[in-house]
Amino acid sequence: MQLCSPLSTAPKRKAFRAPPLATLDGARIGVLENGKLNAEAMLNEVAQLFVQRHGCTVRTLASKKNASAPAPGNTLTTVAQEVDFLITGLGD
Amino acid sequence: MAATTHRLHEVPDDLLAAIDWCYEQGWTDGLPVVPPIPERVNAMLAAEARPPETVIARHPATGLDLSLYSAAVNAVMAGCLPEYFPVVVAAFEAMDKPDFNFHGSTASTGGSAPLVVVSGPYAEAIGMNADVNLFGPGNRANGTIGRATRLILRNVFQMLPGISDKSTQGNPGKYSFCIAERSRGNPWPLLCEAQGYAEGTSSVTVFAGGGFCNVENHGGNTPEQVLITVADAMANYGCITLGQSVVVLAPEHMKIVADAGWTRERVQDFLFSEARRSVEGMKRAGKFLDREYQKQHGEGAHALAAAGFVHRGLMPEDILVTMGGGDAGGHSCFIPSWSRGRASLLQHQPIAPRADSKTS
Repeated sequence: MQLCSPLSTAPKRKAFRAPPLATLDGARIGVLENGKLNAEAMLNEVAQLFVQRHGCTVRTLASKKNASAPAPGNTLTTVAQEVDFLITGLGD
Repeated sequence: MAATTHRLHEVPDDLLAAIDWCYEQGWTDGLPVVPPIPERVNAMLAAEARPPETVIARHPATGLDLSLYSAAVNAVMAGCLPEYFPVVVAAFEAMDKPDFNFHGSTASTGGSAPLVVVSGPYAEAIGMNADVNLFGPGNRANGTIGRATRLILRNVFQMLPGISDKSTQGNPGKYSFCIAERSRGNPWPLLCEAQGYAEGTSSVTVFAGGGFCNVENHGGNTPEQVLITVADAMANYGCITLGQSVVVLAPEHMKIVADAGWTRERVQDFLFSEARRSVEGMKRAGKFLDREYQKQHGEGAHALAAAGFVHRGLMPEDILVTMGGGDAGGHSCFIPSWSRGRASLLQHQPIAPRADSKTS
């Protein structure tokens, strides 16, 4: 007996991890806030730790309109040009 | 139809063993599935005019595609007949619209399930139930169309419980959550008509439903009495958000409402006005957010939004109201939207007639 596979027929998308930064010192941080109840406060708190410990600068605060949907491509494209790394996360 | 060239698995030539094999692959929702043999998949695909490779939905985060072929395989596994397939297809075409956000509503701790409401003549043509035991059990079309929706989310989009579906408590609707709108005795335009589709065109409406709340009222004999019970369910502290609502009025309740001349729009206005909590009460429950209050009462606020109160939804049109269920019983229902807000919005899609014209 033959059975058809119910899985997606789409080819598996290749994903790559970004290379690690050589150093955090003086790096520019992006913060992507998701609109949840405590997200902005929590993410800014985390960003401030990087500021204190590594002299990072917070360059960008972007917000997602919808916490549960991927960030719009143009948001990520814009932020990527302005920062060295991005902090994001939920905040409930 | 040309033979499909998709991945096939060789399994023992024994039906029960094949069912067990599907379990072992992690392809089921916990219940046995119909082994998806090519003959049944091709019969399912015959109900669709487009090529099997046609993509009808795409996961926004993983990029996984839903092709008609994969939809057909899962529909077979769910127990669908070919005439149900156009409904499954239309449901996913509706769910693929960005404002439905099927990724978020499926992955979330909120635990919603996609409610599928079929409106128009196609529901009756394929034997769907809009009557007694509306939400089940007992009807193959309702049960398996809803189940196909879940199996596709699981198998195609890999929304796996505990891994990528982090629902805190789940939802029985995650097995199947599909109904037909009752046309018999319905005094209002059907949803498909209200949605603007041409006469004779049926539609599927999808809604990320957070659960099911029975609304009992056997004593009320006026629209206000019946609907205040519905509004109270909509505004309970555990449910009230700026999100949308689905209300299915039982025929007994609808008769009271319609005999008094109330239209769908008047009912929506009444429910929006009454489904509310005071700001003080919301604060007492720890659920008041100033930004949400401003969204409801700030620029562009609906005229029925009363100062000092938080209403359910942003406007009367956020409340889908229709009729369903058996003739006897003062039992309507309210289905809240997923979680806290408006991250998923109702969507609808016309049902394309079967390509092989066996049901139209």
